Amino acid sequence: MRIIVILGRVLDPSGIVVKGSAGRIFVNREEYLIQPADACALEAALRIKDGMAAEVVALPRSPLPDDDILRQAIARGADRAIYLTGPALKAADEAAMTGVLTAAIERLGGADLVLIGSTTLDTGQGQLGLRLAEALGGAQITGAWQVSSADGQVQAVLQRNGRYVAVEADPPVVVTLLPGALKLRYPDGVRLINVYRGVGEVGDALEAWDAADLVDEAALTPLVESRGKEFAPERERGVRASGTPAEMAQAAADALRQRMRR
Amino acid sequence: MDASYLDLLMAQQEEITEEAAGGGGVWVVADVVNGSIAPVTLEGIGAARTLADSLGAYVYGVLLGAGGADLAQTLYQAGADGVRVADDAGLSEFALEPYLHVLADLFEAEQPEVVILAATQQGQELAPRLAQRMGGGLIEHVTAVTLDEATRTVQGAVPIYGGQYFEILACPEARPQFLTIEPGTFPAPFVDSYRKGEPTLLDVEPATPAVRVIGPAEDFEPPPVPLKQAPVIVAAGRQVGGEAGFALVQQLATALGGRVAGDRGARDAGWIEAGQVVDVRGVEVAPEVYVAAGIRGDTFHNAAIEEAGFILAIHPDPHAPIFESADLGLEAEPQDVLPALLEALGD
Amino acid sequence: MDFTFSPEHIALRRMIREFAENEVAPIAAEIDRDHQVPMETMRKLGQVGLLGVCFPQEYGGMGAGEMGYCILMEEINRVCTSTGTNVGAHIGIGAMAIYLDGNDEQKRRYLIPLARGEQFAAFGLTESGAGSDAAAIRTRAVREGDSWILDGGKVFITNGGYADVVTVMAVTDPALGARGGITAFIVETDWEGFKVAREEDKMGIRGTSTAELVFEELRVPHENVLGKVGEGFVTFMKSLDMGRLTLGAACIGGAEMALESAVRWAKTRRQFGAELASKQAIQWKIADIATELEALRSLVYRVAWLVDTGQPFGQLAAMCKLYGSEVASRAIDIALQIHGGLGFSRDFPLERGFRDARIGEIYEGTSEVQRIVIASNIFREHGVRIRP
Repeated sequence: MRIIVILGRVLDPSGIVVKGSAGRIFVNREEYLIQPADACALEAALRIKDGMAAEVVALPRSPLPDDDILRQAIARGADRAIYLTGPALKAADEAAMTGVLTAAIERLGGADLVLIGSTTLDTGQGQLGLRLAEALGGAQITGAWQVSSADGQVQAVLQRNGRYVAVEADPPVVVTLLPGALKLRYPDGVRLINVYRGVGEVGDALEAWDAADLVDEAALTPLVESRGKEFAPERERGVRASGTPAEMAQAAADALRQRMRR
Repeated sequence: MDASYLDLLMAQQEEITEEAAGGGGVWVVADVVNGSIAPVTLEGIGAARTLADSLGAYVYGVLLGAGGADLAQTLYQAGADGVRVADDAGLSEFALEPYLHVLADLFEAEQPEVVILAATQQGQELAPRLAQRMGGGLIEHVTAVTLDEATRTVQGAVPIYGGQYFEILACPEARPQFLTIEPGTFPAPFVDSYRKGEPTLLDVEPATPAVRVIGPAEDFEPPPVPLKQAPVIVAAGRQVGGEAGFALVQQLATALGGRVAGDRGARDAGWIEAGQVVDVRGVEVAPEVYVAAGIRGDTFHNAAIEEAGFILAIHPDPHAPIFESADLGLEAEPQDVLPALLEALGD
Repeated sequence: MDFTFSPEHIALRRMIREFAENEVAPIAAEIDRDHQVPMETMRKLGQVGLLGVCFPQEYGGMGAGEMGYCILMEEINRVCTSTGTNVGAHIGIGAMAIYLDGNDEQKRRYLIPLARGEQFAAFGLTESGAGSDAAAIRTRAVREGDSWILDGGKVFITNGGYADVVTVMAVTDPALGARGGITAFIVETDWEGFKVAREEDKMGIRGTSTAELVFEELRVPHENVLGKVGEGFVTFMKSLDMGRLTLGAACIGGAEMALESAVRWAKTRRQFGAELASKQAIQWKIADIATELEALRSLVYRVAWLVDTGQPFGQLAAMCKLYGSEVASRAIDIALQIHGGLGFSRDFPLERGFRDARIGEIYEGTSEVQRIVIASNIFREHGVRIRP
């Protein structure tokens, strides 16, 4: 079974301070993490591999300035990783990445299972995995807590209407994992060092592929562009509700409901 | 102005006749919850109406389901100019392939300019598939929109890191422009009960879902979330009003799907464990929502909730320091407001 | 000059930080309170390969060099000095002595399980009459056929209470003294005649074992002589040089924790209508900690680089230990002061950090001994011999 894991990186939010009044983001510690939900996807893949013959290949979710998270994936147990490069890839959005990743998966010989996080910590976008499902012509299982494989099928546990249910689909399947669903294992020390040195059994586990060899340049043109940032007005603290207890309770309920919808 | 004249005018119900338009338009895919149109869909129609008025386009609603065709009127009343209805037993509940099949055929034929879906399970599953199939751009979890009129491009604000700031995204060339909108962030439109229309029924042949439900996952337990990472925390303090007050705090936590915690006073009273004490000497937390009931809020407690997204404080003493940290403060005995709050949330 | 960490060391630091935050930080207060060695955490450190960080891969290690080991010490000590001390005694002096002077067979037999955390090591040098004056040891080893018989004992042995293997220094020829009369032995602690007499009750690093060991007719096979007979002094001096460097690295962790805590509290705590960060008295304190920390970091990692590139480093290692322990103590003292009453509270980690930091100026050669080492090296170059 070939399992593709799509991984992204994200600036650790605990190292940043967002100041709306200054209209800027202050970075006091520039540290990148594997997108938390993608980390769950990697763990899900490794757990399947723990129990059966499977090849786990890591691919990037977006253009990356370095191959660091892919090496990390290998250190934690992935068999291979493909670093996608090329100047044309730089501005790729989810639509463009879908094209490149589909071509890369095809070159790898196809996939039985694609695992990816259900959302990104920073931008909250969940479309890449499902665009891939469309491009690969596969089924999609979204928001899984667990994934397994038996009898040539893919099984997953999801929450639907407040209950946990088990579902199943025929490969190829894209499964998106919820952040926090699984705790990613630690890297193995020896694999970690060797994957950076390019020696040992992980010596050639990381490959770099030029995106231009996979798709036409036109396919790499992003559909979505950024037109700047906006900051919410500074938070106003110390606001008090007035009126009778019932009126105050109503104001509190409205405020909570507003917040909880997010 | 003669009011009776107005009545007369309005009584002539506005029958909407849809243009046999050559493509375009702003389309909204409806979410149906418990047999009625979800509020987020009405919010979507409202947003679509604003965009369509500036674009000089029509607003269309799409309703998929089984036997709920009369819900179409709700979409008209909210501002839709046309409604398409797919009514089939195979569409009674959302499943990807049946819904996708209907919508993809419809949009291939209609070539919308903008398609709005809700950032709900249904919308989030459908939007990427439709966008990929049609070569359209997709902006997810949009909380506000503006229009770049010159290029007829919708600009959506997307919360970053859960809303610490917003990125403005736009899809300048590819069409359709797909958006999923965050529930509760767009104003609900004026519902004009005089508006009505005749929905178009779609011919459908629903596809089979690719994912099969095996059954309930009975043994499954989600991994415990440490208090540090809990998204909702309801905390009790010394002035919560004794055991009875603490019981209300527990009820509120259940109602909000949150975790129970407290200050050192709650620990002294034996209501909570050491691991539930919110304090720089205990656990520092960063929930989306933190409710402090009867917590006076000393420096050591308040510093431990600095990262909370929204703080609701309930305390009888108007001078309690917790109020300076709180986004909303209620000067009251917790046991006086909590029952009313539970009731208000129950609606 | 290139002062950047290599990508492999950056990745290693990230891995260790992740481990430290998830596995070590949550137990730090508890092991201090309960006076418990975190055995499970120590084993986990071994399972992911970290206890072999600086040893070659052929002996079960990661092969990340002294640089990697310093990163490990910094990151673990940043969250828990007790665990850092256990790790340091195990890798840095216990197993290190075997790595530096063991033969291939000894390394296969002992270093591999030590690097994997299946066994733990301690370093047996200090005696009640021989601490800083290491050459004054009294434990005797007498040759008897294919074995040596050890009699005597050791005190203040870190990891002594739970180690499986102890590298023991004993006098094999009293006439020769330090130069030629001391031999190092690899001792397995389940051998007859090896006894843990007691555990010390300490002011700080309470999540460690500091034991008194007694050897009574302890029979050690000759093949367990570490290095050559009579060259034990060289073995332990080499181990201690490395140990001093990595204690300097450990102190970066302690000082870093203090600085992070002080900055955070200075931002948060308001007095007289403004946060502490706006008061110059506080700003200067924080500027001082940050400056000393940065100076220490530069020193330690430069020395690690000297070790990994095979250059002499002994003099600078003494400076790492001396400067590091004093910087860490000062940083924690200042951070505690900035926190006021909160810093003094046992419910807040600075109090533990303050108690833990104190040992830094004492163990593995006191600050006074480090100064003697440094000064005597300086004067030796001028032809002046200094005797302690």
